[in-house]
Amino acid sequence: MTLSLQINGKTRVIDASPTARLLDVLRESLGLTGTKEGCGEGECGSCTVLFDGVPVNACLVLAGQAQGHDVTTIEGLAKNDPDAHAVVLSALQTCFVEHGGAQCGICTPGMIVSAEALLRRVARPDDAQIRDAIAGNICRCTGYQRIVDAIRAASLERSNIEPQNKGDS
Amino acid sequence: MIDAAFARPFSLDEACAMLARAHADGQRPALLAGGTDFVVERHLAPPSATPHARITLLDVSSLRELQIVEERGDVVRLGGGVTYLTLRTHAKLVERLPLLAAMSKDVGAIQIQARGTLAGNIATASPAADGVCALAPLDAVVGLQSVRGTREIPLDRYYRGYKKTERAPDEIIAWIDVRVPHRGARWSWRKVGTRLAQAISKVALASVVELEQGIVTRARFGMASVAPTTSFLPSVRAAMEGKPVDRLDTEHVVAALEKDISPIDDVRSTREYRLHVARALVRGVVASLR
Repeated sequence: MTLSLQINGKTRVIDASPTARLLDVLRESLGLTGTKEGCGEGECGSCTVLFDGVPVNACLVLAGQAQGHDVTTIEGLAKNDPDAHAVVLSALQTCFVEHGGAQCGICTPGMIVSAEALLRRVARPDDAQIRDAIAGNICRCTGYQRIVDAIRAASLERSNIEPQNKGDS
Repeated sequence: MIDAAFARPFSLDEACAMLARAHADGQRPALLAGGTDFVVERHLAPPSATPHARITLLDVSSLRELQIVEERGDVVRLGGGVTYLTLRTHAKLVERLPLLAAMSKDVGAIQIQARGTLAGNIATASPAADGVCALAPLDAVVGLQSVRGTREIPLDRYYRGYKKTERAPDEIIAWIDVRVPHRGARWSWRKVGTRLAQAISKVALASVVELEQGIVTRARFGMASVAPTTSFLPSVRAAMEGKPVDRLDTEHVVAALEKDISPIDDVRSTREYRLHVARALVRGVVASLR
């Protein structure tokens, strides 16, 4: 069956079952393997994508249900720089790198997508808001503090405020 | 991939017609909203494991008619497709129904809150359902629609037993009417689980208590995970209504609780611990009134 989906701002027409999971269509039909599968049952958040700007688990959405909605994956957050033939990471992604917010990396795309949704809604979240926003994203490496630090730093950078050393306490 | 046919009605009327026709044709239709239960179950127990499992999925997740929020005096009508995320972010709902907002924050995490719906929670009929528990003290009424027409069933008469409901197979939960508590009413939401997010309750209690001149004029409850269906705690209610707050006998109220619930040992908790927590939660409500 032909499905027409809006992925990262582009219309993608693919041949897939409407009862396939959005996660599988992204990874297998579209080659967007940045979205990870962890638990496959809505617990871990590794497959988080934005669905009309709101984070959802792509393992719980069927591809047919995504028709008519805007889906943004981790690949949609970085910018392509055609002059340099390179991908330029967003400020949020760079902060994850700089603050040690990624270790093994499996949770990282979902974590960043959840954080992106938060920062679009709340420019300067406090730590409680950050932790609430990533409560559905499980990380077994970092202990979360570095992730919270990265998101806080990104919020300051996005609002052009010099970062304070709040996270070191 | 789920082994099922997939159809996407574009209106509530069309959904009702497709549901009725699928039944008449001997198919096995299933309504799909947020998928937070259904997709997990199908993934863990593929259809090949169950005979005659091929079904027709009717995707109602994008139907705008199911996402309405309408204020009608002291009643708010919520479309069946209203999500937990809407309940915790819609400014007017947060103001008028803070109990539902508090409950919604405790459902899964944002990803689940964004997809899970009130109608899905009611239809799935889990005794641990957070949404049903919080709707209970708001005198919720379930609005059902089919090609035969519409009808309303009060939530406290909706459940006939463990995962058994009054809904006919051709009916869609189109709306839920909830009564906004009087100004100054005391409400509470307490969910006791293993962690703050992504947990299913061991016990949860939602309450609304209205007072006039120191008398309990109205006490309403929903308790989750302590009986085959959400418990409305009728004995606790009777032990409190009409009584002056300063003469409420806490232990008398707690004794009434034991007539209303029958918790069991299961994967999430034990009967003994659930009884202990249930008593503590009810004591907490009584104490908060003074």
